[in-house]
Amino acid sequence: MSLLSKKSTIVLTDPLMNNNPITLQVLGICSALAVTVKVDTAIVMTVAVVFVLSMSNTIISLLRNLIPARVRIIVMLTIIASLVILTDQVLRAYMYDMSKQLSVFVGLIITNCIVMGRAEAFAMQNKPGKSFLDGLGNGLGYGIILIVVSIFRELLGSGSLYGFQIIPSAFYEAGYVNNGLMVLSPGAFIILGLIIWAQRTITNVEED
Amino acid sequence: MQQSNTYTLLFTAIVTIILGFMLSLAATSLKERQELNITIDIKKNILRSLGFSESDDEPWTQNNIQDIFERNIKSFVVDSGGSKVPGVSVDNIVQTDQYPVYCSHISEGVIDGYAIPISGKGLWSTLYGYIALEADGITVKGITFYKHGETPGLGGEVEKEWFTSNFVGKRIVDNNGKLVSIEIIKGEVDELSPEAYHQVDGISGATMTSKGLNAFLKTDLEKYEPFFQRIRKERTN
Amino acid sequence: MLEHYVSLATKAIFVENILLAYFLGMCSFLAISKKVETSIGLGMAVTFVLTITAPVNWAIHHFFLQDGALAWVGLPDVDLSYLNFIVFIAVIAALVQLVEMILDRFSPTLYYNLGIFLPLIAVNCAILGGSLFLVERDYTFMESTVFGFGSGLGWFLAIASMSAIRHRLRYSNVPPKLRGLGITMLLTGLLSMAFMAFSGINL
Repeated sequence: MSLLSKKSTIVLTDPLMNNNPITLQVLGICSALAVTVKVDTAIVMTVAVVFVLSMSNTIISLLRNLIPARVRIIVMLTIIASLVILTDQVLRAYMYDMSKQLSVFVGLIITNCIVMGRAEAFAMQNKPGKSFLDGLGNGLGYGIILIVVSIFRELLGSGSLYGFQIIPSAFYEAGYVNNGLMVLSPGAFIILGLIIWAQRTITNVEED
Repeated sequence: MQQSNTYTLLFTAIVTIILGFMLSLAATSLKERQELNITIDIKKNILRSLGFSESDDEPWTQNNIQDIFERNIKSFVVDSGGSKVPGVSVDNIVQTDQYPVYCSHISEGVIDGYAIPISGKGLWSTLYGYIALEADGITVKGITFYKHGETPGLGGEVEKEWFTSNFVGKRIVDNNGKLVSIEIIKGEVDELSPEAYHQVDGISGATMTSKGLNAFLKTDLEKYEPFFQRIRKERTN
Repeated sequence: MLEHYVSLATKAIFVENILLAYFLGMCSFLAISKKVETSIGLGMAVTFVLTITAPVNWAIHHFFLQDGALAWVGLPDVDLSYLNFIVFIAVIAALVQLVEMILDRFSPTLYYNLGIFLPLIAVNCAILGGSLFLVERDYTFMESTVFGFGSGLGWFLAIASMSAIRHRLRYSNVPPKLRGLGITMLLTGLLSMAFMAFSGINL
């Protein structure tokens, strides 16, 4: 007997690959790219988004029959914003260096389309348990892309991974140079474009 | 389903109160820790500018950084004339013409270097940091930046070691003893140029940040110039 | 002084475009840039809202939320800056609503052109991002206004150029799996590279 029913497993794993929020639903790219210069910032960002997304989905789903229809959006925004503030405060208290690097981008999770999108599309119609899994899955699906992009950018742009030097100094002596473009914004756009291409080839999706 | 106005109002009020209460609770309980983090970060930067670094037998942690700072760094306040102000500590400076100085010691009474705060506008934001001079009051010992909002990869490179290490060993005065400050130039420094003693390599794509940095380095060093002049004089005597 | 504002605006529009250098407002950028007319409409709406929200949020931060800001009501020790996010987003949502009503009442043509985009804007990262940046960078009131306007204009420029490129793209033969989002990201990369060239200008 497995811990999760088959249906729940699908809710959790579907957004990781087949229905990835970034590459297929085109959601949440805003705050995704700015923090992908280094792998460690991407990982912390992923944890923050997973936390906010799963908690907001659960809370909104618990309240789904109570929230008045007219003020639905603003109530959701308030709940999400509160969760984001909480995350930001905790980061500032316990991971100060990290919060300095993430700066305003933690705050921008509020307007990350994934969070609002999942709240509106999933949490308002489903039970709390399922909504939690949906949030978790989408958060992780978002995180995978974030981390993959950051691996490329850090490796090619700084020659290191998670702060450890990967490219040996012998390479640099032989004339190898870090690709400065990868650290800058165009690098992020181009890598994400290529990842989307690869991912769509695997899952066989086409846009017109 | 359309709810009544009373229900809508009541619901929003309750949500606001609960969330507001939770947030204030979190913010107040974490505040002390956050402020501690900021002071520790500043202390770390003063230490780093003065050439201290983390070692394997004594890694910098929340707990021992205060201790290391206290053991190695002494601070005092100077006025715009360059003399020490008695009775004022660096934490409670009120007058704008009094400036803090942090110095490290090799042994009792033998000074190793002086660190002074620097801050000013870069491209987007105000940069904050420390620059340290050797005991001669001429040679740069180190420079650090602990707060800025510049673009990562461009202006944000100021805090990186490859950039800050360029400053070490540069001189802030020319042969006649006049203050020239440190100048970040476009591209790489020509080591053969007569100006190379006070020039450092620029960051490509961050002309504006470098320009701002040049300007405020100069203003801040000028503020301390009377003080450093005295030090230079004392040493030649 | 004027020079300072011109240089700030140029920086916000070209050198460090809020979309191309900070990735803000990507969602609507990708979704809307398919058509030139709608792109221009949304771009105008974003510029409009950013120009208004930036100074308003500055004032709110300055007089209510900042550490010690409540000194004028006799509460100098209160620091509400942790409420920044939630207040900013509420202000943006409220202002968008207000702008919508005012436009509807006084300028039906403008409302007709911008109206459908306004609700989209409340959750556009560029708007919230603009407000958060001005706090982080310690801008003054005037600087905030100029920065808000410049960022909006920069966003407008980016989406307008993108939609023009995508319009031309219809006649080219893009690999099927790259079509849509993939090629748009690659093009955005190229566009952002072009904008980076502006960082060489000396202001």
